[in-house]
Amino acid sequence: MLEALMQFRHRRFRRDLSAYVDDMLSERARRRLEAHLDSCEACRQELAELRVTVEALGSLPMAEAPRSFTLAAAPVAEVRPRPAARRLEFGLRLATATAAFALALVLIGDFAGLPGGGDEEEEWVRGELYSATRATPAAMEAAPVGTPEPAGIADMPPVVATPTPAAVRVVPTETPAAEETPPAPEAAPVEEPAISADVSEEEPSEKAALEGAGVEDEGQADGAEAQAVDEEDEGGGLSREEAVRWLEIGLGAGVGALVILWAVARFRRSIGNRP
Amino acid sequence: MAIADEGQLVRSSQKGDLDAFNTLVQAYQRQVYNLCLRMLGAAAAEDAAQETFIAAYRRLSGFRGGNFRAWLLRIAANICCDELRRQRSRPAASLAAALEAGSPADVPSDSAGPEEEALRRELGRHLQQGLATLPAEQRLVIILRDVHGLSYEELTEAMGCSLGTVKSRIARGRARMRDYLMARRELLARQFRHKE
Repeated sequence: MLEALMQFRHRRFRRDLSAYVDDMLSERARRRLEAHLDSCEACRQELAELRVTVEALGSLPMAEAPRSFTLAAAPVAEVRPRPAARRLEFGLRLATATAAFALALVLIGDFAGLPGGGDEEEEWVRGELYSATRATPAAMEAAPVGTPEPAGIADMPPVVATPTPAAVRVVPTETPAAEETPPAPEAAPVEEPAISADVSEEEPSEKAALEGAGVEDEGQADGAEAQAVDEEDEGGGLSREEAVRWLEIGLGAGVGALVILWAVARFRRSIGNRP
Repeated sequence: MAIADEGQLVRSSQKGDLDAFNTLVQAYQRQVYNLCLRMLGAAAAEDAAQETFIAAYRRLSGFRGGNFRAWLLRIAANICCDELRRQRSRPAASLAAALEAGSPADVPSDSAGPEEEALRRELGRHLQQGLATLPAEQRLVIILRDVHGLSYEELTEAMGCSLGTVKSRIARGRARMRDYLMARRELLARQFRHKE
């Protein structure tokens, strides 16, 4: 027990030896250490070695500077990114990533065939071609009766062929309704997804033509009436598609405006923080 | 080295007087260079010293009075520690090898005979190798205290830590250096016998 206490005191005095060399002990601590040194050979030895070490370190020569380090010109002010600027940088990156993600969503939506998607435009073209080709045999059948127009319509390009449904509708007057109804589901999605500018421009005239056709065909076969109703629905689809498009544009513009507003606000704040 | 009107030179430097600042550079460049030399070795010391003075000029507005030498050495110490961290991140670079390669023990003494000069160089090499084995903060405090002779008060400023921390680091660093040198006791005995 006494041995352990002595060891503890010895370790504590050893710790003070360095400060004792530099005369940095308080008067009381110095007197205690000196009393201990009188009775502790190991500490005296260690103190002597410590003094030699300090002396050896002090004997290290100071080298001459290899050249002058004077400055020829005042150094340019340090350009360290300020914390606010660093946060701004992160925020801009985040905003860019968000905008890119939103754009990706819109593109995926387009290609996945969601309302307003480009694929549906292709559907429309295919539908038109299909209805036109379906119409051709009917027109051939009708030809002997003296209605040759639909044959020519089949050769028309899809966009220009907008009157095709009307032409198809003319045909049932000569043929059984059962034969004419199948193209209707094909033709139904025809105009709804149309999104290209060309098609949109033609929409009013097309719609008018369709409506006109519907009015003209009111007294005709049931199948034709159903088709006319479908075509009216197509008019509603067009407005929905428009709405989706404007929604997309609005969302894009909104995100962009938010990013710009946020960036301006951050810049103002960072400028305001400057001393 | 003490400058007669250091405070005035510092104030002029803070106002953009480059000549006043260069007077301070000339007064302290040897100490700054030697600190970098002992911390990093000869290869990196020159760049670190120059970087210290450039950084000091840029940060002059942040100097709020007090001990200019301690403030300058603190900048140098930080630059040395940054460089040591960079060296550690490069596995190919060995600090001990760098320190040994550019050993400042080769610094010639002013008035030494051939035998004494050889002994001094050998001891200097061993001391430098011993310093290289210390952790950076202990090496820094030993160099500043035992080689450059800074007071404890200056050390607290130069290292930015408390007096207790300074004392503790000095004690641990010296104990390690003592162990290192006592393993080469014969060299020490010869050196100091020769001096007597």
